[in-house]
Amino acid sequence: MLSQFDYVKPLVLDQALDALSREGDTYILAGGTDLLISLRHNLIDAKHIVDIKAIPELDVFHFEEGKGLEIGANVVVNRLIDSDLIKTRYKALHDAASVLASYQLRNRATLVGNLCNASPGADLPPPLLIYDARVKIASSEGERTVDLKDFFTGVKKTQLAKNELVVSVLLPDPGQNDKSCYHRQTRLKGHDLSTVGVACRIDGQGKAAIGINAVAVTPLRLTALENELNARGLNEESILWASEEIKNHIKPISDVRSSREYRLHMAGVLFRRCMNQLMDKEA
Amino acid sequence: MTHSELEHCTYQAHGDYKSSYKHVGQPYVRKDAVEKVTGQARYAFDLELPGMLHAKTLHSPHARARIVSIDTSRAKALVGVKAVITGEDSDITVGLYMQDKLAIATGETRYQGEVVAAVTATTEAIAEKAISLIEVEYEVLEPVRNLDDALEAKTLVHEDIAEIKHVEGVFFPQPDSNIASLNKSRKGDLDKGMAEADLVVENEFTLPAVAHVPLETHVSIVQADPYSNRIRIWSSAQSPFALRQLMAHSFGVKESDIEVHIPFVGGAFGGKAGIHLEPLVTLLSRASGGAPVKLRMTREQEFNYLPTRAGMRGRIKTGVKKDGTMVASDIVYDWDSGAYADYGVNVGKTAVYGGLGPYDVDNVSIVSKTIYTNKVFSTAYRGFGHLETLWTVERQMDILSQKLGIDPYEFRMKNILRPGSTTVTGERVTRSTGCPADCLSAVVKEIGWTGRKSEEERAREWKTGKVRGKGFAMIQKAPAMPPNTATAVVMQMAGDGHVKIMIGAIDYGQGALTSIAQIAAQELDLPMDMIEVIKETNTETNPYDWNTVASKYTFMGGNATIQASRRMLDQMKDIAGQALRCSPEVLTHGDGYIYNKHRPERRIAYKDMALGYAYPDGNGIGGPLIAHGICMADGLTNLDPETGQGLPALAWTFGAHAVDIEVDVESGDITVLKVASAFDLGQVINERMVYGQVMGGVMQGIGSAILEGYKFSDDNVLLNPSFTDNKIPTFKDMPVEVVPIYIENPQLNGPYGARGVAEHTMISIPSAIGNALYDALGINFYHLPLTPENVALGIASGKKDVK
Amino acid sequence: MTTHDDKDICAMETAHVESQKRRVILSCRVNGQAVVEEIDPTMLLLHFLRDKLKLFGAKEACGEGECGACTVILNGQAVASCLVLAVEAQGGEVLTVEGLARDGELSILQQEFVFEDALQCGFCTPGMLMSARALLDRSPDPTDEEIMEGMGGNLCRCTGYQQIFNAVKRAAKREREELKRS
Repeated sequence: MLSQFDYVKPLVLDQALDALSREGDTYILAGGTDLLISLRHNLIDAKHIVDIKAIPELDVFHFEEGKGLEIGANVVVNRLIDSDLIKTRYKALHDAASVLASYQLRNRATLVGNLCNASPGADLPPPLLIYDARVKIASSEGERTVDLKDFFTGVKKTQLAKNELVVSVLLPDPGQNDKSCYHRQTRLKGHDLSTVGVACRIDGQGKAAIGINAVAVTPLRLTALENELNARGLNEESILWASEEIKNHIKPISDVRSSREYRLHMAGVLFRRCMNQLMDKEA
Repeated sequence: MTHSELEHCTYQAHGDYKSSYKHVGQPYVRKDAVEKVTGQARYAFDLELPGMLHAKTLHSPHARARIVSIDTSRAKALVGVKAVITGEDSDITVGLYMQDKLAIATGETRYQGEVVAAVTATTEAIAEKAISLIEVEYEVLEPVRNLDDALEAKTLVHEDIAEIKHVEGVFFPQPDSNIASLNKSRKGDLDKGMAEADLVVENEFTLPAVAHVPLETHVSIVQADPYSNRIRIWSSAQSPFALRQLMAHSFGVKESDIEVHIPFVGGAFGGKAGIHLEPLVTLLSRASGGAPVKLRMTREQEFNYLPTRAGMRGRIKTGVKKDGTMVASDIVYDWDSGAYADYGVNVGKTAVYGGLGPYDVDNVSIVSKTIYTNKVFSTAYRGFGHLETLWTVERQMDILSQKLGIDPYEFRMKNILRPGSTTVTGERVTRSTGCPADCLSAVVKEIGWTGRKSEEERAREWKTGKVRGKGFAMIQKAPAMPPNTATAVVMQMAGDGHVKIMIGAIDYGQGALTSIAQIAAQELDLPMDMIEVIKETNTETNPYDWNTVASKYTFMGGNATIQASRRMLDQMKDIAGQALRCSPEVLTHGDGYIYNKHRPERRIAYKDMALGYAYPDGNGIGGPLIAHGICMADGLTNLDPETGQGLPALAWTFGAHAVDIEVDVESGDITVLKVASAFDLGQVINERMVYGQVMGGVMQGIGSAILEGYKFSDDNVLLNPSFTDNKIPTFKDMPVEVVPIYIENPQLNGPYGARGVAEHTMISIPSAIGNALYDALGINFYHLPLTPENVALGIASGKKDVK
Repeated sequence: MTTHDDKDICAMETAHVESQKRRVILSCRVNGQAVVEEIDPTMLLLHFLRDKLKLFGAKEACGEGECGACTVILNGQAVASCLVLAVEAQGGEVLTVEGLARDGELSILQQEFVFEDALQCGFCTPGMLMSARALLDRSPDPTDEEIMEGMGGNLCRCTGYQQIFNAVKRAAKREREELKRS
């Protein structure tokens, strides 16, 4: 690590936002599982580290019936797994959290951090996308909220400006008749990044939503495919059709982790497995 | 032998193993467990010396390049930096068998990851900063990418290949080529054999380079005395005496000028067997006024800079008769050995006698080429080439049995080495050699083999999305070592009767500290808490051992320990004979006493002779009890350079694995449900540790089978230099069940009949899984690793042979 | 080596003063004992434990959080200490492998590791013990899946994991019985 930085741990959000506005080369520290790797490999030159873990409003983990769930920037991934609410109401998110990295990393890694890192293969975005997640962003100039699907702009790129901080993620209440799941392919049974991961949801109106990672420069919500599938109605035939059609809606590449062919192949397989699992629950 | 005859096959498995000895075979807790569970064990990684400087290295990003210039001025100017060196500062060459490498690259670099500069500084942070200030200008050149490039020889990795100093008569570098060594063996008349065959089958198999991945990366601390030739080394290494010898040779000093200390070692698997960081760190210490200098590899450097297991291509042509008799075997092994010969060239050589498999074939030709390419070089790796050659041979055996329509178990049993057979080098097999047939029968029985799956069964299972399959493969390995390999132990007794043993080998988890103590306890009839093997091995005080490799230490160190124990008993009997006024011949020993056979009450305790014996009036006789034991590998010979005939093998440990797997036909995921592993190890010395070797080796084998492999870009840059993309198996990748089976046909010149078993447990797991994949899917795979992707795309291709 | 001119020395002194300004006093408890040290905020928790406190049990085997060899327990949670800044332990509690045994007596967990031969080279062992400790603290009667999940982030190249798994399972049972945990 060549960076030489000072470290502050503000107790109020405004101080953190001030630091982001004021100083160049300032980085936010929450879980640190991505930041410290960037520091180790000298991908960034940090002069100031702002630890946000003492800011109480970032600890929010609040659900209101009818309104939805707010997950603050400090909420770690293991918390998502331990939450019965997430397990019952946002199952795909529970599935994805359960396979992210390893236990000790999940004690530190945060949901918001996973989003801000914006890896195309990140596990948490697909479930959040199918639940129409929104991202609350703050800066010393004020607050704004954007749809998660607009948040990612490229490989490891988001629309966050240098002086902005993600405060929380908002998930609408899907209601009681909603179901979802997340399946992903990895190279081994142990901890791994996703070769390709698919999140599917059937909402209270019987409409499907599909999220996917590692097949484009950002995680995707496959709206066009959903529309075509929902127009046909959900049945064994249409799901089979969609599991082939999905290949026309994604543009995976070959990289060190996997070939394009295998990602195309598994996108279809995982989609079908997700949907069959959700449909079986119905029957 | 038919399947029903398997019912009569018996064996001891892990759960029911019992030894008939008091100490040998017992599952004693390992002697260094407490230090390791309390965090007290000190590895080279942890060591600090007073005045120690920290070193960092700069590595070439190109597979092949000319170094145009290196500007170190800014690095040198940084406060806290004590030395900066480049190839200009050294002409030290290094090499175990071929002196083809410079301690630090000079003029050109031959692989991406090779060191071009190094610094020492008062802190690691300053050293890291200094590295970032060094500017290197490269002229990037076309690399020799792979085997085919290399054999075409348009470009030579080593222009001076004809001049490289090497061990003559053993390795044969080919002038004007990239062949570091061409080795061969021949038996019988190959052409005649092929002509007799009813069926000739030819195939090609490949597997990539893999990393050892010891949890402790390579670490060396060197203090080069500025006032003499003395060089002190503390290293995470396997072979202190080899290091001493190689350092002395490279630096042109006496062996007694080199002092090597090995603390606890955090894993090695062959990757730390030779000489690695030590010459570079010695140069750094010299450049730093003789201060002790510590260099620790990061994990990325471990993957990129330190050597690997070689990638390999095996081309095998086998002639068989309709009844299953193998009549001819023609094998060519091409080892993609990277930029330097290191230990890799010996792996290549070993393939000519290890590379046939445990089969009796009358007409054989094996050609093995160790080939230079511009990538990270290869070295010794658990199995020393046998996993690679048996991937070729055991898959071929399965394919032959498929084509002949003979059960693969029957087919192997028809050709397997039995007493009276000869190996490919002309070694005669006897009962003392070990029994591969017993191993195969045991695992085939344990896995519940009832023959190949039928097409109907397969089609039925396929509909569920998951198909089961069973497969098995043979293992054989003998230590690959010079015919005059020797070891010694020294045993001393303290005044309270406690015995301390010094060995020249290292215990890096395989259990030498404990197994040697057990053998001594057995010989001396002392409890285990009265015997200790000294934990740190150093070349100043400990007796010589060649290298801690080759699964030979139990055999050789064990024999040496038996000899030392008996000599100590003789010394005690000599003293006791005087004190008890009788001939030493009427004395025997037991329970810590030397006593008269006829009148056991006439006895003297060991401890009363440990420092000499004192009569009641004060007279002293004898002296401190010190005994040494040696073991020389006797009767071994070099191999004839043309025919490969000779006696290279100290001990053949035969074995077999059988696996039962489940394959997800869409994702290609393989779940290993059961592994049965049998080894004819002659005699279990410590059952708990053999169990540990089996579990660990099987897991490492699964890694090679379905997960691991280096990936290179078109420019031969390593694409997976970290755990992110260079994975090893985890807890969740364990097979559901592993059954270790111990076959004990004693080797008559082994300690209590024991052979070695350490590397063997990993060998042939990939072959067994490949064979099980055929049973499951009806598809033959030829290339490792059998990743979910490769299996799934193989299935999706519709081909029966995924080449 | 080149000599420095006044401008270089001035720059170095400035850099030194700047680095002093960044330093923080870290005050925390490690293995139950109070610790107060002045550190540079760039220091990792792993290096603080090893280089400052000379607690060499936790190891750096990858520096990226992928291998688990650096696992310690921070404020009751198992963490990869190579990805934690030392200063994040401010006011907190750290437990390392050196804190498991009491008065020279191995803990039950350590005893079971020894008995089950859950180690060979031993380099991954401190990390394994800490992941196991954290697991048993939150789950005194863990299912097999919970053991796999709790230990899954720790790599071992030597043992093949089965003996470690067995040791954790046996330790859980003994702790429940002998320490009356539930």
